[in-house]
Amino acid sequence: MSMQAALPVAMIPGNSIIHRINPIAKLVWVVGYVVLAFSTQNIVVLYSMALFALLLAPIAGITKPLLKGALILVPVGSSLLALQIIAPAVERPWTPVGEIGPLTLYGDGIYYGFVLLGRIVASLLLALVMVMTTHPSDLFTSLSKLKVPYTLNFMLAMTLQLIPVFQREVGIIMSAQKSRGMKGKGFSAVLPSFVPVFVGAIERVQQLSISLESRGFGSNGIKTSYRQVRGRPSDWVIGIVGALALGGLSAYSIWRGTWNISSDIVFSPLFVVVTFVISATLFFGVVLFAVFLSLKK
Amino acid sequence: MTDATPSALSPLAIDVRGARYVYPTGNVTALGGVDLQVKPGEIIGIIGQNGSGKTTLTKLLNGLLKPTAGTVIVDGVDTAKKSVQEMAPHVGYVFQNPNHQLFARTVQMELEFGPRNIGLSEEEIAVRVAEAVEFFGLQDYIEEHPYRVSFPIRKLVGIASIVAMRPPILILDEPSTGQDHNTTHVINGLMRRLRDQGTTVVCVSHDMPLLADVVERVIVMKSTEIIADASPREVFADKTLMARTNLQAPQVTEIALQTVVPLGGPVALTPAELAADIAMRTGRPAAARTDAVG
Amino acid sequence: MPEPIIAFDAVTYTYAGTDEPALHEISFEIQPGEYVAILGLNGAGKTTLGLCVNGVIPTMLGGELEGTVTVGGLDVSEYPVREMSKLVGVVFDNPEFQMSQMSVAEEVALGLENAGVPYEEMKRIIPDTLELVGLAGFEERSPLGLSGGQQQRLAIAAVLAMKPQILIMDEPTSNLDPIGKQEVFDMAARLNSERGMTVIVIEHEVEVMARYADRVIVLDGGRVIMNGTPQEIFSRVEELAALKLRVPEAAELATILRTEYGDWDGPVPITTEPAVAAVNDLLGATRD
Repeated sequence: MSMQAALPVAMIPGNSIIHRINPIAKLVWVVGYVVLAFSTQNIVVLYSMALFALLLAPIAGITKPLLKGALILVPVGSSLLALQIIAPAVERPWTPVGEIGPLTLYGDGIYYGFVLLGRIVASLLLALVMVMTTHPSDLFTSLSKLKVPYTLNFMLAMTLQLIPVFQREVGIIMSAQKSRGMKGKGFSAVLPSFVPVFVGAIERVQQLSISLESRGFGSNGIKTSYRQVRGRPSDWVIGIVGALALGGLSAYSIWRGTWNISSDIVFSPLFVVVTFVISATLFFGVVLFAVFLSLKK
Repeated sequence: MTDATPSALSPLAIDVRGARYVYPTGNVTALGGVDLQVKPGEIIGIIGQNGSGKTTLTKLLNGLLKPTAGTVIVDGVDTAKKSVQEMAPHVGYVFQNPNHQLFARTVQMELEFGPRNIGLSEEEIAVRVAEAVEFFGLQDYIEEHPYRVSFPIRKLVGIASIVAMRPPILILDEPSTGQDHNTTHVINGLMRRLRDQGTTVVCVSHDMPLLADVVERVIVMKSTEIIADASPREVFADKTLMARTNLQAPQVTEIALQTVVPLGGPVALTPAELAADIAMRTGRPAAARTDAVG
Repeated sequence: MPEPIIAFDAVTYTYAGTDEPALHEISFEIQPGEYVAILGLNGAGKTTLGLCVNGVIPTMLGGELEGTVTVGGLDVSEYPVREMSKLVGVVFDNPEFQMSQMSVAEEVALGLENAGVPYEEMKRIIPDTLELVGLAGFEERSPLGLSGGQQQRLAIAAVLAMKPQILIMDEPTSNLDPIGKQEVFDMAARLNSERGMTVIVIEHEVEVMARYADRVIVLDGGRVIMNGTPQEIFSRVEELAALKLRVPEAAELATILRTEYGDWDGPVPITTEPAVAAVNDLLGATRD
């Protein structure tokens, strides 16, 4: 029943090789992933990156939570693909490949749809692996070594810490108002839920600021750090390899002008129609499920 | 009244049978098979350390949680079949911290919120709010912002906003937390008056003097179960029970237990009661009794 | 007479944006190592008084302060709160509002990090401090996963790590269950008796204060209206009742016996044991 469990994405404690890698080395990889993902349009590269991130999960022992966290990709990915098929983000003329009801389906946008999806999937999966295997304090300690300002760093850490607290607070307030007969949704529920949350937050911030000031938070002197994050030779190797490999691939992509291989891949009309049906079904399924849940409450 | 004459499944105000609650995540049992019957107009206290299951039990009573086994029937209504909102006319729940529920621009509007939610007519709302204002002595504050009044008054506004719905059963969670003696005294008096008007009152509290003062029956909880259900006197006199639950009787009761009780005297709950018994034993009946102190 | 560690000299304080002073002409002194209870109704000025001691008033909250508050020989209005915090630690009623870190150890470390205490020294101070509040071995736990009593002791550890001489607790147990209350008060009593720490507790629980405090200060409407030993103060049952304040039930019992039945001649007991002894004497005397 720990509060942390309320967070959709949190560190999964463990002592795997991935857990032990220095946070900065991991951060290099995540940043490298994002840079490469957004400088290339080569779907082989993008989905290889996603696969690589996915393969790290069993090593770190986080397969189940990772897949759970990645569920967020279902509505995002399915809407993205469906949209690219009915309204491609490429120049006309578009070649129709089929019709479903009033909708005309085009094959032109599907490659680009897979590129967008691949970028998100690859970046998100690796970011999740990092978040799930890194103690936030270690990350913030490392960031402060990189001269990220202390206050900014503290605010980031604090926000992470406060999310579960506020989730619980909102839960109590909603319970209190529902006990007064408040319908749990719609405009009429806005003020009764938000005013108490807001007032509580102000009270919390006031006490916390006094408490922090009393512990020397505002002092300008040299600060020390209780958490010691080691950088072993292997961490250096991992970081440098990541930077070189991902940086190199990014540079190559840019040199090749995004390395788009859409001309080498031909999607059959059937494939486009099937992809559309699956992604549209998934998307509406998620929407209906969300509506059902909110009505049930 | 929207649902004033429910198909009464039970003539009792509260009828809990074999109620269990297991959190959906992680198989943590928060309440393990509890039975509790409360007659209309009773005033009961629930005590126990945090984590003993008190809050889970009270949340089952107003339908915020549904039992994973057993039944919870409150005011003749099976809570499992109703939403929390539908339970609101039957059972009022005063949360510990008034700041968790107050939001309106004025005290008056705050008091109107609940009655309006349960679908009363504007005339009926006006009647009930006026009644609650009168009952809680809030006449001077109705135009004030609920956050502008002092904390003790805010607490009263919080209770009044529930009582304005006129629930036949009222649950109060830790009514004396953060309050001074004066406010606690006022709240105790209000709880007694509500009971006198026929409301069933359930008071969850760590405050032993408060319980000694107002309740007639104490439910003691430990490790998700009810381990005792008796009068405050019986509970406070039970040394093993108090030690097992790490609870401490009011000071005057402790004194009585070590002085007059072995001589056949009462397990006194108030200083006045113990003083009267001692005076009788020392042969000084209250000839010159005044109401100076008490 | 040793130098007082806290001295209020004719202190009147008005919060910014209000007209009525929250404190009126307050003067009193506290000696090093005293355990002082501050009583009063909500709104009597207890919290305001506490905030004056570590300088949050006036340096953080502004407002208008007349008179002087001297703590450890320093005029609080002239030093930032973080300087005063080396002398004075404050904890409030809601321990959770004082937590900001991922782990218990880091919560305790925060003040030390800000003061630039070297890592090696922190490694020593943190377990020692946690030991002191009975949280040894909790280093890696999340503060949010602790019980209320544990959280409050952690909040206290977080200020104790700075080695203050004074600990102020503002209704430290109002959100705790009986076990939690006992944990906190036992710990404060130990810090006071074993470490000679000056302890100031703002509290409604008079029975507990009668047992621990060396001195009781009663505030009403922002003024100090009583200041003396628990025995002196809690014997004034009628006066306190007129102020709508509670007295220990032992004292109330003795007072009823005296005024209504003329049945009590000795001193007014304020804790359980002397009351039991006196009542048994009384009963024994009649039986003989």
